[in-house]
Amino acid sequence: MPAQHRTICFGVILFLLGVGSPKCRAQVDPWEFEVYPYATTQRGMLELETDNAVVTRGHDTGGDGTAEGTFPSQGMWYNAYEVTYGLTDRIEVAAYLTMAEPSGRPYQWAGDKLRLRGRLFDEDVLPVNLGWYAEMEWHKTPDFDDASKEFELRPIAEKDVGAFSVLANPKFEKVLSGAGRDQGVEFGYVAGVYYRSTRALSPGLEFYGGMGLLDQTEPSSEQQHYLCPVLWGELPHGLEYNFGVGYGLTRGSDRVVIKFNVELERFVGAIFKGSPETSWFY
Amino acid sequence: MLGNLARAGDPSLPPVASVPTVEIRFENHHFLPLHLEIPAGRQLQIHVVNASPERIEFESFKLNREKVVEPHQSINVTLKALPPGSYDFFDDFHEDVPEGEIVAR
Repeated sequence: MPAQHRTICFGVILFLLGVGSPKCRAQVDPWEFEVYPYATTQRGMLELETDNAVVTRGHDTGGDGTAEGTFPSQGMWYNAYEVTYGLTDRIEVAAYLTMAEPSGRPYQWAGDKLRLRGRLFDEDVLPVNLGWYAEMEWHKTPDFDDASKEFELRPIAEKDVGAFSVLANPKFEKVLSGAGRDQGVEFGYVAGVYYRSTRALSPGLEFYGGMGLLDQTEPSSEQQHYLCPVLWGELPHGLEYNFGVGYGLTRGSDRVVIKFNVELERFVGAIFKGSPETSWFY
Repeated sequence: MLGNLARAGDPSLPPVASVPTVEIRFENHHFLPLHLEIPAGRQLQIHVVNASPERIEFESFKLNREKVVEPHQSINVTLKALPPGSYDFFDDFHEDVPEGEIVAR
C-alpha cells in the first residue's frame, strides 16, 4: 500500500475511533439486536416477534454499556414485542413495546417504537440491494434513557455472494426531546455476515456499535462495539430464531450480552393492491 | 428502464421476454416440475404460476427468495447468474407440500 494511502487509512481510523474528541452519547439499541435485510415483510403478512437480550457481564453503574438510563446494565433483561405488517410489496410498518427487568427490580415498561421500513426496486436490479428504515422511539426516562424521544434513520444494504449474505445498516439518530436534544446526529451501526447452510441451522456473525455524534465521536474506549456470533434458522411451523452471544470490544461496552430473537409470520390479508409495475419505492 | 425491471408487485405477470424463463406450476398441492435443470452462469427468470385455489409462498432458502402467490395468479422471480449447484424451493405456507430442487449445471 502506498504511503499516501496508509496515511489516509490511519486518518480515517483515527476519525472513526474519535481520538481526542469530547464525551457524548454512544447508541446501541439493546432491545433489538437484529440486523435488517433488504427484504420487507410481504404485503398482507403479519409478523410477531420477540427480541430478548440479557447482560451477563455488564456495568454496575447506570449510563454505561447498553444501559442509557439510571439502572445499571449488569443483569438487565431487555425484552421487546414487535408486530410488523406488510403494507405494500415494498413497505412494512411495525410497532414495538419494549420492557426490561433490571437486576433486583421488577419487570417494567421501558418504552415504545414505531417504524416504517422499505426496499427499493426488486432483488438484484441494483448491484447492491438497498432499503430504508425510519423509526420514532419513546423511552421511559430517566430509568432507561436520558432522552425521552428520538428519531432514527438507516439506509439498508444487502449483497448476496454465493451462500453468503452481507448486510449493513448504518444508523443515524437524533434526540428530539430530553438530554441531548441540542446535540447533533448520533452515529451507530448494525451489520452482519450470514452463511446459508441449512434452513434449520446456519451460522452468522453480527456487528453492533455506537460511536457518538457524527461530528464529535467519543473516545475509542468509551464507544460501544460488539462482535456477536449467531446461529439462526427456521424451526417447525415457521418459527424463525436468531441466537447469539455478543462480546463487547471496548471498555464502554458491556462485556457479554446474550440475545435470542424469535419470530412467526402469517398471512392475514392485504389492505392495498399489488404495487404498480413501474413502481420502485412503494 | 428501472421501472420496467421493478415488477414484483403486480399479482399476475407475464414473464419478461428478454430474460430466459422457466416455469414452475403449483396445482393439486404440488409443484410441477419438482426437479428442473437450468444452465449455470446465466441470468434466469422463474415464472411461478399458482393454478390452485390455495395461497402459497414460493420460497427458496438457498436462493434467498420468498414471494406470496395468490390463487390463480403468477409471479416472476428473477435470478442472477447462478454458480453450479443445487437450490431448494418450497411452499412456506404448507409444510406438507413436497420440496423441489433447481439444479444449475
